[in-house]
Amino acid sequence: MLIGSSYSLISTFNSWLSSGNILLNIAALIAYGIFISIILSVYDYLFGWAERKIIAKVQLRHGPTYVGKFGILQNLADVIKLLAKEHIVPDTADKFLYAIGLPAMMAISVLLVLVLPFSPYLQATNLTLGLLFVLVLLSFMPLFMFVSAYSTGNKFADISAQRSVLMMLSYELPMLIVFASVALLSKGFNISGIISAQSTTWFVWLMPIGFIVFFVTMLAELERPPFDFLEADSELIAGWLTDYSAPYYALSLFLDYTRMLFGSLIMAILFFGGWSGPFLPPIIWLLIKAVIISLFIIIIRTTLVRMRIDRMLKFGWVWMLPLSLVNLIITYMVFIH
Amino acid sequence: MRVVIDVPVRINVGPIHPSTHGVLRLVVDVEGDKIENMEAHIGFLHRGVEKLLENRMYMQACPYMEKLDYFAPMSYDELYVAAVEQAYGVEIKEKAMYVRTILLELQRIASHLASIGFLCNDIGQLFTAFMWSFKDRDMVLKLLEAATGTRMFYVNMRIGGLVRDLPPGFEDSTIELLDYLSKRIPMYEKYLEKNPVFMERNKGIGIISRDDAKNLGITGPVLRGSGVSYDIRKNKPYYVYEKLNFRTQVRNEGDNFARYKVRMLELRESIRIVREALKKMPSEGSAVGMPIRLIGPPVKNKITITERELPRGECMIYLVADPQRPYRAYIRSANFINLSAIEEMCKGQRFADLFSIIGGLDMVIADVDR
Repeated sequence: MLIGSSYSLISTFNSWLSSGNILLNIAALIAYGIFISIILSVYDYLFGWAERKIIAKVQLRHGPTYVGKFGILQNLADVIKLLAKEHIVPDTADKFLYAIGLPAMMAISVLLVLVLPFSPYLQATNLTLGLLFVLVLLSFMPLFMFVSAYSTGNKFADISAQRSVLMMLSYELPMLIVFASVALLSKGFNISGIISAQSTTWFVWLMPIGFIVFFVTMLAELERPPFDFLEADSELIAGWLTDYSAPYYALSLFLDYTRMLFGSLIMAILFFGGWSGPFLPPIIWLLIKAVIISLFIIIIRTTLVRMRIDRMLKFGWVWMLPLSLVNLIITYMVFIH
Repeated sequence: MRVVIDVPVRINVGPIHPSTHGVLRLVVDVEGDKIENMEAHIGFLHRGVEKLLENRMYMQACPYMEKLDYFAPMSYDELYVAAVEQAYGVEIKEKAMYVRTILLELQRIASHLASIGFLCNDIGQLFTAFMWSFKDRDMVLKLLEAATGTRMFYVNMRIGGLVRDLPPGFEDSTIELLDYLSKRIPMYEKYLEKNPVFMERNKGIGIISRDDAKNLGITGPVLRGSGVSYDIRKNKPYYVYEKLNFRTQVRNEGDNFARYKVRMLELRESIRIVREALKKMPSEGSAVGMPIRLIGPPVKNKITITERELPRGECMIYLVADPQRPYRAYIRSANFINLSAIEEMCKGQRFADLFSIIGGLDMVIADVDR
């Protein structure tokens, strides 16, 4: 029944969007915005909790237990606490940049999720060059990270800012080349087109090297361990977030999980056939795939030691870049030529 | 508005920082990511323990000594009591010697396990190895609790022996624990040494040469990691270490990995020592020492020097004994002297390696500041 009603909702949404009436168009977009916010907040909240619980299990601890059943309300309590705290802006900060840095990053990451299609009918837009748009937005990320780190005037944040540039140099190019090989394979930059190109075989089977490169670069993009140089808590205290207090810190937590949602979604879309799958509705398939990838990303955090930033650059240029090129060439030779 | 930052950048690491193992302040000049110069500032946790000892009666000082190194409290307690025993000129019962050896080695196991956890934490292995090794450490602490009555700060030594005998069933539970630990230690080694990033973060990092280590007066696993075979338990044996069969573990690399590896090997040696001591321990007799005395040794300005191999290195007490209370007690802390090597180790290393070096040195700042 639920599935049926959601289908009817989606078809209503579609008819609104395709009708020429501008009011209906706006209503449809607002409805989609609400839908995305629900997905984002549920995912962010649940993964904030799940990460704590899973890591606690690996580390022979219990994790949150007191607030709510299985500590499910712990993150809510934390956010309320953070919002109630005093918001301290350091004297050394550039007030304007300090104010816009994190919100801009949050906006970009929400936009990134917004661009991705959730099902054949459930998408905000169907850009012809969707993948390219994603790439453009992604390359804004380190820029704003640099801005927000640099604006605090903290030396630890400064080191973090320098590291973010170094990181960008090391992972951006391999990632771009993998994007290119995906586009080559699906003969276009349209994201829906990429998913329909995988209706017979997932791209992960066609270019496993590309997937490995993409996964590693995505971990770096998301700043997840072992590439968490920017927030390296045992070295830089909290890196670029050192001087962000109260509400901004809460925002940074949401940002973390929003970016993780985007990372898992794009991996599911580019390599695991996106929404395609039997029986269940497409959006459920996409979310199942994204959740499995997210869990994998979380488990990696519990086991790996942080790399060193200078090794990261070497790793990016000596291993990732050649591997991504090899992947591109193989893709061209085998599947296109 | 912000100031333009000169190169090299001067960064204050600490005194409040997640991985300085307490309140150590390091003033680091970095150029890019490379450490140009470094200076350690200590004294934030100075409590004047040496002066406190001069104002306490002999056995009142034990709790102060324990708080110097909170990862090996019993070792410090024993060091102090041994110094007082020397001043008194008391013979220690044979059974008490065995019991002390066993307890001290268990303490060493607990301390080394903690150090492995801290090393992993410092190089960014978010608490996994830390929690695992602390769980194992806690099992050792439970055993010590059974033997002494408290979990961390034992105050278990008395002149000539201990406060109480080992409880019944202690031997069996110890052997059970040692069996468990000898299975766990290879597991840690497998988990850490097969991890290429862990090896990369530790191999060739913070090298200190054999000569430098000797000249700086470094002791403990740090010295043995630099290829010097020096261990008070072997070189100037006390208690029953002469009768026991164990080796001094030495690695020649002098880097962070060597120090970690020496600790791993010493864990095995400690397990061996405890097993053998349990076997050789006389079954009859009591290990209980004298009751606490208010009157000190009937000597005037008797100078005693007591050395012990603590988990973090050679510690020494220079005690000028008077009746009533010590006239002077100087504590040579291994941590304080090992810390002097950190500038040598860090020069030219990456900023991120600073923390693996601190983890490798296994600092306890309370002991440095005294």
